[in-house]
Amino acid sequence: MTSQSVKLEVMNVAEKLVPVVCPWCSVGCRFYAVSVNGYIRRVEFDYDHPKIPNMGKLCPKGVASYQFINSPDRLKRPLKRVGDRGEGKFEEISWEEAYRIIAKKIEEIKETYGPEALAFLGSEKITFEENYLVHKFSKAVGTNNLDFPGRYCQYSNSPARTKVFGSGAATNPFEDIAKAELVLIWGHNPAETAPVMFGQYIEKAVIDNGVEMVVIDPRSTRGHKYASLHLKPYPGTDLAVALAMLNVIIGEDLYDKEFVQERTVGFEELKEAVKDYSPEWAEKVSGVPAEDIRKVARLIAGKKTAFLVNEGMNQHVNGFNLALAIADIIAITGNIGKEGVWSGVFPGAQCGFCAAMTGIAPNKLPTGKLVTDEAARAEVERLWGFPIPDWLGLDLTSMIREMGNKIRMMYIIGGNITKSAPNSAWVREQLKKLDFLVVQDIFLTETAKYADIVLPAAAWFEKTGTAISAERRVQRTYKAAEAPGEAKPDWLILVELAKELGLGEYFKYEHPDEVLREINNVIPLFKGATPEYLAEHPEGCFFPCTEPGEGTKILFKNGFKTSDGRAHLTAVEWMEPPETPDGEYPLWLTNFRLVGHWHTVTMTEESPSLQKRWPEEYVMINPADARRFNVRDGDLVKIETRRGEVITRAAVTDHIREGVIAMPWHWNVNFLTLEETHPVTKMAELKAVAARISRVEE
Amino acid sequence: MAKKIFLDYNRCIGCKACEVACEMTHGEARIKVFEFPDLFTVPFNCRHCEKAPCLNVCPSGALFRDEDGAVAFDPLKCIGCLMCAVACPFGIPKLDEENKIMDKCDLCADRRADGLLPACVSACPTEALKYGDINEVLWNREGKIVANLKSSAERGEGEEAYLIL
Repeated sequence: MTSQSVKLEVMNVAEKLVPVVCPWCSVGCRFYAVSVNGYIRRVEFDYDHPKIPNMGKLCPKGVASYQFINSPDRLKRPLKRVGDRGEGKFEEISWEEAYRIIAKKIEEIKETYGPEALAFLGSEKITFEENYLVHKFSKAVGTNNLDFPGRYCQYSNSPARTKVFGSGAATNPFEDIAKAELVLIWGHNPAETAPVMFGQYIEKAVIDNGVEMVVIDPRSTRGHKYASLHLKPYPGTDLAVALAMLNVIIGEDLYDKEFVQERTVGFEELKEAVKDYSPEWAEKVSGVPAEDIRKVARLIAGKKTAFLVNEGMNQHVNGFNLALAIADIIAITGNIGKEGVWSGVFPGAQCGFCAAMTGIAPNKLPTGKLVTDEAARAEVERLWGFPIPDWLGLDLTSMIREMGNKIRMMYIIGGNITKSAPNSAWVREQLKKLDFLVVQDIFLTETAKYADIVLPAAAWFEKTGTAISAERRVQRTYKAAEAPGEAKPDWLILVELAKELGLGEYFKYEHPDEVLREINNVIPLFKGATPEYLAEHPEGCFFPCTEPGEGTKILFKNGFKTSDGRAHLTAVEWMEPPETPDGEYPLWLTNFRLVGHWHTVTMTEESPSLQKRWPEEYVMINPADARRFNVRDGDLVKIETRRGEVITRAAVTDHIREGVIAMPWHWNVNFLTLEETHPVTKMAELKAVAARISRVEE
Repeated sequence: MAKKIFLDYNRCIGCKACEVACEMTHGEARIKVFEFPDLFTVPFNCRHCEKAPCLNVCPSGALFRDEDGAVAFDPLKCIGCLMCAVACPFGIPKLDEENKIMDKCDLCADRRADGLLPACVSACPTEALKYGDINEVLWNREGKIVANLKSSAERGEGEEAYLIL
């Protein structure tokens, strides 16, 4: 027996199993954090609750998720910048001083420039309750400049589906994927980004039920080995493939006539819009054989289809158009509003929906209605007790563009925009132009290094709160550990800062339960998701959950959320990606995710079991391109675009199509991407840019 | 009734949840996922052989068969002679250089004592790893394969179905 275990026995320390929701992707896996004296020692699998989405299972990130919170590099005290912006030199200060400095700056900037010079970011990594408070706080100080890094995530598919169906959320629970007749994986890599969903639902369909799988992706992804067809469009040209599929489904009379007749409007306009987008045209644009496009279009039209579509569709300037075209395909084939189909947004984070559903956006109220809607504003003003500004705020990319101009101060919670926003060098220069920056996070991220004040936040397992998964499942997670040093939960920091600003009367909360009860009252979709109901039901409820015990597993069975209850088919046109390869930059550059890392690695690189297995970035290049550019496997290479360069190792592989190179996005790829945005959705070009590659002498 | 971990490699997506779960439980991963260029992945751990050569050659009695049939290991008796590694046809036992003894999978003896599954099996999101009475696992597999054959035959795809097995 080791001395450590002897000591533990003498102290009679009991292990406590605290039920938590996993802090990474949006599958919503549950497990137990095994806590000893406020310190998490390991995780234990939850095989006690058969109704939870993961049925006990976890991916490597889930298993390792206790590691980062124990990192010695956690922020423990508030910091004040003493060096240059970006240099990372700080001195420790007290909470009182930090609050005093921030409150004074907010007042100063409001006085000099008006509240429209203030901007706030919510986060896909903090709880539902905390996002709600970020929203309330930003409106209480008088600004609608409110967004979150989800702007770069689901903001093609979400607005497109809202336009067509009235709501972007997933239509069905995951269990319906296992009941589908065709699994279509388009610009999505769930075997790596959501392994539990892949194993527990997609494999059930594909392996156990023998259902066909089709993959559309320029790369061969992990799950690709199960696919019968693999279409490999050039990045950013998927829109051409989707338009040609519409052309085939309508031209060959394969659409669901009864469904189109009874449940949609706009079919004739759509038919007219896509009549010239033949598969042969799409082949020229996308490099996908016309015959393969026909095959997949016919399959979709004939089978109940699960559409698993993600960032390969979302993260393009033309992603909105692509998402509209896919929504049209879903609607005219009747693949919605019934069992055995699946489609919807698939947030990258456990709490992407927490930000989206509390209205973290420059044009929204927490109820989801628009800030410009006077009656809707008055309703929230009555509940909150203070006036709400009526002007449209700026989206995240516009905030960055306006730093030092319209935007003078920014308050960032749990976001690392120096790496997640497009064109990292530009973002860093812009951050230097701010009068004042507050970053609230658990680590000193690259972005925090540009802050004037850094506030140490409690991590996911160090607080109680609510998470919302990709299948609209609302679940509670509980405090399993003490935050290190003086770090505090995000909700408490906002409550205390509000008090310093003289807004304390609107933020009288002593526990996240009180915030959730207020949400139950303010946001009707969540009326039934009470702290008491969620405590008794670890499997949670599917929103809209309007009364305790009532949830909505399948959306749109009878009508859509549009003004007339019908799906609004939308005519879509081809839209060139903003940048395409040319003589100078001859290759397409795209990016992808690794199973062992998450977002900008701030947490996964502090997880030793993950970091050692997935240690660094690399670039995938096809053998033909490798010969053309004189690159061998393992060579050090320089990847350049018009924005910047990254030096990394080459992986020569058939798993990427000719003409395209690809890097994991977690590290530096955004030094290469483009900050141009879509006029409506403000989505930037994060996945298809023109690049060149050259060997670097070692 | 020998309880074993069965590897249904066709379900594996190479996520390495098993490795991380094993590492969390034992400090070092005793299971490893081997990846091949064609996206084929195989998680591999001790086979807990019915006629285990390592057991037969262990001179100190450190290796023993426990009540569930696992080839288990008493670290206090091990002398780090590597005989088990020499005898193992798979190269499973490894040297723990710090403690100067061997290290190998014991099917999570501590977890089994608490009524839990081995950590790698608990985690495996695709059920590529299955734990239980091995013949029960294999009868289930055989049943599934026969059912697939039947439905393929009904669709007139018998020959194709046979090929993918």
